[in-house]
Amino acid sequence: MPVDCYAYIRYLLYLQKMFNIIAVDISGRHRVDGYYLMVCAAVAASVTADHIEKVHQVHIRSFRSESAPDVPSVVRIMEETVSEIRFGGTIVTEPGDMYNKPQWLVDSMFSGNFKYEESLSERLCMQLAHHISLSARKLLLRELDI
Amino acid sequence: MKRAILVKRNDPRSDEHKNELQMLELKELAYSAGYTVVAELVQARHPDSRYQVGRGKVEELARIVQGLNADKVIFHNPLSTMQIYNISETCRREVIDKFQLILEIFATRATTPRSKLQVELARLEYELPRARTIISILKKEERPGFMGLGGYENSYAQDVKNRINRIKNELESMERDRDSLRSLRHSKGFSLVALAGYTNAGKSTLFNSLAKEEVPVKDMMFTTLVPTTRSLDVEGRNVLLTDTVGFIEDLPHWMVDAFRSTLNEIFHADVVLLVVDSSEPVETIRRKLLASHETMWEQLQEVEIVTAFNKADMLTQEELSERMLALEYLTPNPVAISAKKGFCLDILKAELRNHLPKWKRIHLSLPLSEEGMSMVSWLFREGVVHNISYGDSIDIDLEARDAVINKALSFAKKHASPS
Repeated sequence: MPVDCYAYIRYLLYLQKMFNIIAVDISGRHRVDGYYLMVCAAVAASVTADHIEKVHQVHIRSFRSESAPDVPSVVRIMEETVSEIRFGGTIVTEPGDMYNKPQWLVDSMFSGNFKYEESLSERLCMQLAHHISLSARKLLLRELDI
Repeated sequence: MKRAILVKRNDPRSDEHKNELQMLELKELAYSAGYTVVAELVQARHPDSRYQVGRGKVEELARIVQGLNADKVIFHNPLSTMQIYNISETCRREVIDKFQLILEIFATRATTPRSKLQVELARLEYELPRARTIISILKKEERPGFMGLGGYENSYAQDVKNRINRIKNELESMERDRDSLRSLRHSKGFSLVALAGYTNAGKSTLFNSLAKEEVPVKDMMFTTLVPTTRSLDVEGRNVLLTDTVGFIEDLPHWMVDAFRSTLNEIFHADVVLLVVDSSEPVETIRRKLLASHETMWEQLQEVEIVTAFNKADMLTQEELSERMLALEYLTPNPVAISAKKGFCLDILKAELRNHLPKWKRIHLSLPLSEEGMSMVSWLFREGVVHNISYGDSIDIDLEARDAVINKALSFAKKHASPS
């Protein structure tokens, strides 16, 4: 294959290498004082395969439930939080948040696109969402004197 | 060649294609360890606490082992000590799991003191949580003290822990030496590039092509265990290219920890050259890229990554562009190459050059004297001279690291002609 072909493919790839994602994480999926006080954080960002290029918006929301959240409840919590985000993008979560259910199964429950974290940048975004939800929940617990 | 039987338990309703690929990978691993696979056994069920697979399946396995006169049984699934004991009691053969198989391969490949220590550390880390049960099984007839309170178990586990600590200390001191060597190389103006990627992706072949070297290359997993470093000229910049051990899916954390000092060659590099075997199906490449990202992501800090789609000569242009586009979200700065045939290595070098740590570029005027000429020859060695013209003075367009630029500037200032 001539050298030019590869260069052309590279040029094509250069044109489309940014992806819009919304990393979502939930903290507090354990019972405290008889109920579950959860904080969900959504981070909308543009990423390349290995870098976060821009964080567009962050949104956090608290949820209270008397029973442990199952997969449909987790999906509802995430969708409600993401609905406040003004930017579009694929929802990204950790497999553990969805009880390690197969991606195709969870994807069918979301109204938009969904995937599990894969690339370095998606993992970094998830880390960001995790720290935000954890800190927000700590703050909330302190304010509520729990 | 020793004869082995491979066994895999699949979770019910799990992805069939993924299961097949995992079995294929286990087969390749067995081949790399020097085994001939004489039979394969698969069962779909939830794990059994005593045998991993069902009891009936183990009895069937025992019959096959006898019939085919196999030397070893290799499980894909991680086995507990009790499971290993129960299965080997039934089959009357040695039983190991995938991680022990990897350790076997590493043990045969380890040649340097550091790699030998790493392999031993990995083996001990694997053994530690099992140490108490192993001794409990081995010494079940012989219990010290009243009602046998497990004196043997504790002392053996403690021995393992002590040995682990000793090896860790030794490896840490070796790592400190590597750290200072790395700093020295940086201060001498070398940039560090490390080859990373799934095992058998063609890292060593690419290393040989780029560095004009002859490190061993085989169509076999984990051919490289000991890192090799060679210098390389990348468009005027001095680069040290390091070939390292490959990644594998579901690598347990204790194995990553044991090989940390080798993997640090990747984690502490300026640029990581991620090698991908593009001749494989997209789903396989994606799975392998995922394993690479998973191994690297927590350790990499501010490292640039260039992805080399290797073995591109085995695909048509359409197939290649389709694969590259499908995987672009996992492949930073992709370049299609063929390491074996030497295709597009110049494009790869140009891409590497773009991602090396930035050097300053300045225009400089030096006196046309003996001292000036000696400075010019030093600058040719330490930096990249883009342009030079000799008139009343020597005008240089120079790109170099900060230390060299500062030295050149202070020389120019000191020897500037009074105006």
